[in-house]
Amino acid sequence: MSQESNRTAAMLEVRDLRARIDEREILRGMSLTVNPGEVHAIMGPNGSGKSTFAGILAGKDRARVTGGTATLDGQDLLAMTPEARAVAGLFLGFQYPVEIPGVGNLYFMRTALNAQRRSRGEEELDAVDFLELAREKMKLVEMDPAFMNRGVNEGFSGGEKKRNEVLQMAVLEPRLAILDEIDSGLDIDALRVVARGVEALRSPVRSTILVTHYQRLLEYIVPDRIHVMAAGSIVLSGGRELALELEKKGYAWVDEEAKRGAFGAPAPVAP
Amino acid sequence: MNAAEQNLLAGAESLPPAPGFVAGPRRAGREAFERLGLPTTRQEDWRFTPLAPISAHAFGRGDPAAPVSADEVERSAGRPFGPRLVFVNGRLRAELSSAHGVQAGLHASSLQHAIAMSPGLVEPRLARTAPIDGSPLAALNTAFLGDGAFVHVSGGAKGGVVELVFVTVARQGPAASFPRVLVVADPGSEATLVETYVVLGDRPAFTNGVTEIALGRGARLDHYQVQDQPASAFHFTTLSVDQGPEARLSTHASALGAAISRSDVLARLTGEGAEAVVSGLYMADGRRLVDNHSVVEHAVPRGTSRELFKGILDGEARAVFAGRIRVLEGAMKTDAHQSNSNLLLSRDAVVDSMPQLEIYADDVKCGHGGTVGELDPEALFYLRSRGLTLPRARSLLIYAFAREMVDRVALPALRDRVGRLVAARLPEGEQILEAA
Repeated sequence: MSQESNRTAAMLEVRDLRARIDEREILRGMSLTVNPGEVHAIMGPNGSGKSTFAGILAGKDRARVTGGTATLDGQDLLAMTPEARAVAGLFLGFQYPVEIPGVGNLYFMRTALNAQRRSRGEEELDAVDFLELAREKMKLVEMDPAFMNRGVNEGFSGGEKKRNEVLQMAVLEPRLAILDEIDSGLDIDALRVVARGVEALRSPVRSTILVTHYQRLLEYIVPDRIHVMAAGSIVLSGGRELALELEKKGYAWVDEEAKRGAFGAPAPVAP
Repeated sequence: MNAAEQNLLAGAESLPPAPGFVAGPRRAGREAFERLGLPTTRQEDWRFTPLAPISAHAFGRGDPAAPVSADEVERSAGRPFGPRLVFVNGRLRAELSSAHGVQAGLHASSLQHAIAMSPGLVEPRLARTAPIDGSPLAALNTAFLGDGAFVHVSGGAKGGVVELVFVTVARQGPAASFPRVLVVADPGSEATLVETYVVLGDRPAFTNGVTEIALGRGARLDHYQVQDQPASAFHFTTLSVDQGPEARLSTHASALGAAISRSDVLARLTGEGAEAVVSGLYMADGRRLVDNHSVVEHAVPRGTSRELFKGILDGEARAVFAGRIRVLEGAMKTDAHQSNSNLLLSRDAVVDSMPQLEIYADDVKCGHGGTVGELDPEALFYLRSRGLTLPRARSLLIYAFAREMVDRVALPALRDRVGRLVAARLPEGEQILEAA
């Protein structure tokens, strides 16, 4: 019974998700449950399927889902358009945010927020109110207001792009934020700012999934659960201590253990 | 000539009498058109632009006295942002025009008036550079020479603006008009000239304009053409420019409507150190066709030319771009560049882009570039992942592509108008305008 009530309360429920890119199977039975208020970290070596998983949840169509389910607050995510997922409260922080010259950053964020508000039947913010909101959030991520008048991510450095992702997250206030390698290419200061943005959003009704290769980020954002992905599924889950163990032993250890079948079903060998 | 060609030329023989410098080119134009007829796809310059649809209509010359209200002009051409002369089926209509606010040194009148009152200014420049032989449409226009617009920018003019609105009225039946513009810019003058081409009425309209521009030493002219016509229209313009030493021409065309739209630009840099900037934005959807031909001719040393055209094509639309940079013998230190970028929004849209370099001089810098691409799927996904609907995300990216060309319009009121015309052709266009 308790399992049943857990399931209805879960924010994100992914079961046995399988996906291919071209003919290669990238996700091979991915399952994950995230409850409201939780911060999860998904770690794993390059090529383990972390980013594909994050992209699929947001509706990126590069990978083809071949099986399994994913629900957000009980809604079938996989049947929704990317914009409907955003309206439902899902946010993907991109590993490589796209530069869009000709579309103003400030305008873009206001359009995004208002598109979501409109879809939820909430009142739209006018330019003045939005600017006030954006200013407040910019302080949180220590972003130079000059960046708001540029094209979306246009000419931004790697760190500025990541700040811009966190700023968007702060403005949109998603129910579930999935941050894909938000820490890659960041110096310590930027990392601290990004962490502050994530912490600011922490609440009993919001959840976060951090996808990362390194445990360094987890010194700044302490997750409730850590999962290790290898060859397309989660092979190991645990608390904070798991990150430290990984740090000591490296991902080779996970690969070895996985090959031995130490985590249950042996991970298929990549072709 | 076939029946359609005879219809187009009807009346050219019974024009009011005119002085020899008008009557001569008229006759030459008429004879050339009689000989050439409408272009066919057998001609190299018209290979991708079939004019057969025109022959399905009996185009008679539109009535210059057709009833048109000031409201109708504003609705189709937008609100005036300065002095505006309105021409109905090629003839100036004083009651629709206002020279209010015209800058000192800038004179605009009907060509007919100028031929009678300022022959000394008109004669040396009229029908001197616009081609007739081998250019059937310019020849056809010239066969009706005598009416149109004359703009004189005297040396004292520093930055004034004049707008010429050409309305082809096609209400009772298919109507043809032959707008003619002559611009004489004295040495050292500066001005902006806007030509706006619209159609009133839902019958087929055939607009065939010729603009001749002569720039004296050091003169600077910003020239704009805005074509916003319904899909029942056929639109042709020939722009012929002669640039003296150190003269600077910037000409920018926004070709947004019409079933078939063709622009021929011929810019000759005949004075040392002249500079030409030729640019344009074109949009077409459905089965429409838009064609931009240009020749930039460097005849003397140290000329600079920059050419940039961008196009957005949807449905089964077709675009043709043919840009020729010709550097004549002796035109050393020429610096010329040309580029054409196209955004294809559908698999059935086609673009034929043909840059051509003809270089007969040494020590020159010439180049060309161009792209044909689709909307970036990564950018589309990025916008949608933030909650923007697919139509809104597409419109935003399309507008972002066009924006560079909208921003090239230096005149704020005109830039605003062009931006609106572009956005109006996109889903949720009203909302995306704020992006700019």
